[in-house]
This record gives sequence, C-alpha cells and structure tokens, in this order.
Amino acid sequence: MDTPSPSTQDLARRLLAASQSASGPHIPDGVAVIETLRISLAKFAGDAGFVSLLRRAVALAGAELPALQSVKIGENGRLDGADSAISALGDEAAVAITAHLLALLVVFVGEPLTLRLLRQSWPDTHITFKHPEADQ
Amino acid sequence: MSAQGPETPHDRVKIKQLPTGVQGLDEILGGGLPEYSFNIIAGAPGCGKTTLAHQIMFANATPERPALYFTVLGEPAIKMLRYQQQYTFFDHRMMDGAIRFINLSQLVLDQDLGAVLDAIVKEVEASNAGLVVVDSFRTVVRKAQAGASDVELQGFVQRLALHLTSWQATTFLIGEYVEGELRDNPVFTVADGLFWLYQSIERNSIVRKMQVMKLRGQESVPGLHTFRITAGGLQAFPRTFGLTDNKSVHVKGLRRISTGVRELDALMGGGIPEGDSLLVAGPSGAGKTVLGIQFIAEGLERGEPGIVAMFEELPNEFMQRAASFGFDLDKNLKDGSLKLIYLRPLDLSVDETVHEIVNAVEEIGCKRLVIDSLVGFEMALAPDFRTDFRESLYRMIGALTRRGVTIISTVEVEENFTSMGLSNFTISFLADDIVRMRYASINGQLRKIMMVVKMRRSQHSIDMYSYAVTAKGLAIGEPMRGYRGLTSGIPGPWSLESPSPPAAADRNDPNG
Repeated sequence: MDTPSPSTQDLARRLLAASQSASGPHIPDGVAVIETLRISLAKFAGDAGFVSLLRRAVALAGAELPALQSVKIGENGRLDGADSAISALGDEAAVAITAHLLALLVVFVGEPLTLRLLRQSWPDTHITFKHPEADQ
Repeated sequence: MSAQGPETPHDRVKIKQLPTGVQGLDEILGGGLPEYSFNIIAGAPGCGKTTLAHQIMFANATPERPALYFTVLGEPAIKMLRYQQQYTFFDHRMMDGAIRFINLSQLVLDQDLGAVLDAIVKEVEASNAGLVVVDSFRTVVRKAQAGASDVELQGFVQRLALHLTSWQATTFLIGEYVEGELRDNPVFTVADGLFWLYQSIERNSIVRKMQVMKLRGQESVPGLHTFRITAGGLQAFPRTFGLTDNKSVHVKGLRRISTGVRELDALMGGGIPEGDSLLVAGPSGAGKTVLGIQFIAEGLERGEPGIVAMFEELPNEFMQRAASFGFDLDKNLKDGSLKLIYLRPLDLSVDETVHEIVNAVEEIGCKRLVIDSLVGFEMALAPDFRTDFRESLYRMIGALTRRGVTIISTVEVEENFTSMGLSNFTISFLADDIVRMRYASINGQLRKIMMVVKMRRSQHSIDMYSYAVTAKGLAIGEPMRGYRGLTSGIPGPWSLESPSPPAAADRNDPNG
C-alpha cells in the first residue's frame, strides 16, 4: 500500500491535535487518538475488526518508520505496552499509524463513510479531507 | 356485541405498515411490514438476506427512530458496509445517526444469552430505535444451544421479542436456516413474520425465489415469488403482477377493433373483439410478425398506444421491418405511444418478464399488445421457470385483457404435412380467438393459406383463404375452393364423387 496521501496525513495531524487538547496529561497523544478511534470503530466492527485494521496500519507505518516494528497491539486493540514506543517516536509515529488507519478505512468503506465515522468520535472538530486535487 | 352496539372495523387496532424499500415486496406482504412486528429473514448463504435487511433499514430509519444493526460473528461490519454501499439504495447521509452498526461478536463469544439480551436492550433504549436487525441470529442461537437448554433459548427469544416490541421497534433476525428446522423451533414460534429466501441453480441459471411463510395480522400473497438482486438491491416480482386491484374491469367485446388487414377483419366477423387474446399460429415465414406490425400500426393510427414484446427480433430490426411495409413508427416510438420491449437474456423468470410487460402497459395506457413470440418468450426463460410458463402467461393474459388490452400472441408451429396442430405448446386455451396460417403444396407451389379457427363470442368465416405477404403487408386472396385435404398441407382436387363443399357464406357456431 502506498504512503497515505497528504490530505490523509493532514487529517491524521488534525485528529492528533484535537486529541492533544482532550487527552489527559498521562496519556500520550498518539495513544489517545488511536484509543478514540478504537472505541468508535470497535463498536461497529468489533474488537477483532479494529485490531486487524490497526495491526495492518502499524505494519504499513513500520515500513516507513522502522522503530514502529516493535510496537505490539493487545487483543482488545489497546496499545498497552506500546505507549512508550509511540511516546518516544513522537507525533510522527502517531500520525503515520493514524494516517494508515484512515487510509485503510477509505479503501474499505470509502471516504464519505470514513468521515462520518470520524465525526462521531470528534464531533467538535472540523473533519474533512482536503480536496483531492490538492494531493495530485 | 358490546353494550355500545355491534363491533365495527374502526374498533380494531390499525396496524401501520412500513415500506420495505423493495419493489414488489410490499404487495407480496399485503401492503408492507407490520410495524412493531418481530420477524425472521431466513435462507441459505448468498440468497440476499443481508441486502434485504439493509433495504428495509434504508427505507425506514430516521435520526429520531434510528435503525440498529447488530452484527454477530457473521459478515464483518466493515466488509458489509464496503459491499452494501455499492447498491443504489445505500445513502451515506443516513450513517450520521439514522443507521448504526453495533458489533456483538465478542459478547456472544464471552458471555451468556442474558448478557446479549441486556446489550441489545440497552442500545435500543438509549437510541430510541425504531428498527432492529440482528445478523446473524443463527449464531446467537448456536451459541445458546451449546451452553443453554431449549427452554432458556425460548425464554431468551420471548424476552427479546417482548422487549423490542414494547419499545416499539420492528425487528428482523437474520439466520441461515434450512426448511427442516421449521418444526418446534422457538424462534419461529415467537416470530410474527417469517420470510424465506431461496436460491437454486438450474442448468447454468440462478433462480431466486422468496416466500412469506408466516405474517401475523395481514393477508400476504401466498406462494413463491421470484426476485432478482440488481444494482438497486432486491426486486421482487409478485405472482399477482401488481394487478390485484379491481380497477377498470373491462367487458370484453363491446366493440371490434381492426387487425389492420381489412379482409381478415371481415373473416373474423368484424375484427377482434376488444379485450380479446388472439393467437396467431403458423410456421416460420408465414407472416405472423407482419400481422403483428399491422395490428400495432392500425392502433397507433387510431390513437391506441401499443406495445410489442419481442423475444426473437431486435427492436431496430422490428422498426426496419415495419418501415419496409410502409409503416413509419419512429414518431410513435418518440412520443411514447409505441413501446418495444426486447427481452432475451436466458435467465429471465417468467414473472419478471411479465412484470416488465405489465409495467409498460400501465405506463403508456396500452390498448394493443403483441407478444412475438411465445416460443421465444419460453426460450428466454431460465429452465426452471419454463414449467411455470403457461400458468404465468395465463395469469398475465387474463389480467391484461380484463383491463381492455387486446393481445396478439404469435406462436411458431412446426409444420407437418399430415395434420394441423394449433401450437406445440398447448397454449391455445389462452386464446379467445385463433388464426392459423400454414403452407400448402398446390400445383408445385408452396402456397400460404389462412383460416380463422376460433372466435369465442362470435361467428366467423369457415373458409380457408390463400394469402400473400406483399410489400404493404398481408393480402388475403380467394377462398381455397375445389380442394380436399387443405389442412394436411397436401391437398388434392375435390372429386366429382364427393359432396359439394359448403357455401362461402356459411358461418360456424360461435360457441362450437
């Protein structure tokens, strides 16, 4: 799979920013954004459905950021034990994982449904992909 | 009788009917889905259960009364959304809250039926859901059967039905069942509605049928109904063809209408009685389609919209053929007074085909219909449907002629030179009137002869006439006098020893 488009990465950054303001001081922002996605996605796709997508997203992100190859994902989709790895890699890692997760959702259910799912999780955030032409 | 007087229909609770969103299905159900009913959609994998449930959801869900779709160890929700959004009924906007997917797989795996019930109830109460789907409920039942008794399962189903109905939700449980499981199954016992979908393969053709096996509170159309899964989702073809109402019942034969061939009209006693079904039987090349063209053109000239349902010829070929006889029907095609229906795929269901014709008849207010030909019609059907052919044709012709549509059906007859059959398909019972064309070998020539065999309510000529297919259509010639054995196709001269042939003016008994 290709690197996520600039608009997908941009959206991942905005979700991260929204989570930075919402998450508590003890939760890494990267973990918070994925946790928010987990709660939303697992509700309709199930824990197993979310975990399978997240594993794929982490694997794809790991191809870009080799340090992510050590990240393990729990059976329930939580990044237990992987917080430190993501914390150490900073926003770049969280953006990469989130962007790949979003890109996977777009591949499977399309952009309109992906945006609608995200808006349910971040109702106060303006969520949209930049116009496709911007990516070309 | 109550103290206030006799009970009236107004005293009874009125059950609101919800649209299914599936063309033809509301009619099969007797108007729609009973609101707050508890239903099962059953059938084998791949027969359209999930798609049907989605169509019902998209037709009814609102943000105020959303639809909850519980997935349980069946098709993963992401894949379901991926595929279902390919259907035209899928509206992304409804995913904002009107339709919600909830995954119960883990709960079913980890916990007991009580926890599953609690989870469903909690979501329904929190969302004020108007529609609930559990897919696949069979999985829930399997889990229950592994760890719980039949009584517990029955209790669970009953509590689920009770609760969802009390919360004014219309419910659909989707399950992969086989018919042998119908007996003593608590799920089916509790259900108000039981919709069974079937799919079979018959000589390379897929045949899909549905049956409403149970529906409390209203009269559904019994029997198996064909359906098709298209880009728009399921489309059902009720066996009633949408003609269940009794509007505008036509009294046949109040007037005669011209076939477009004046001499033939005269042989028929003044034309075809309006609302009759005329069968034109004859061998290939006899001019059956030409008569159909003249019949339609005559109607169009008189302002009577017409339809030609063709199964052998392409529409442009038909138009060219009509033009070659001097009938320019282009303007009629453009203004909608003429409709050509070309149906030739090899897996059509007879009901589907009939629906196409009936819809077109309704659409243009058709007065004249030509079916060219019944042989081609039958060939276009999936093999499994050919056994239903005569029955469906009978129902369609009956329904249309009752509405005043006059029908000419052509049928090719395999010619032999020993006898004269009317049709290889024994469908002459469909016809009020029959015209037979055939070849006869006379003086080294293959001559065309025509006879009116039957006019249900009137007298007609009993003469056999020679005719020709000319540049302007059929031209009726002279009565074939002086021959014997014309019906065999190999006539001989009427010998001097034989009695005289009957006079030309003789007419037969209309009811004979």
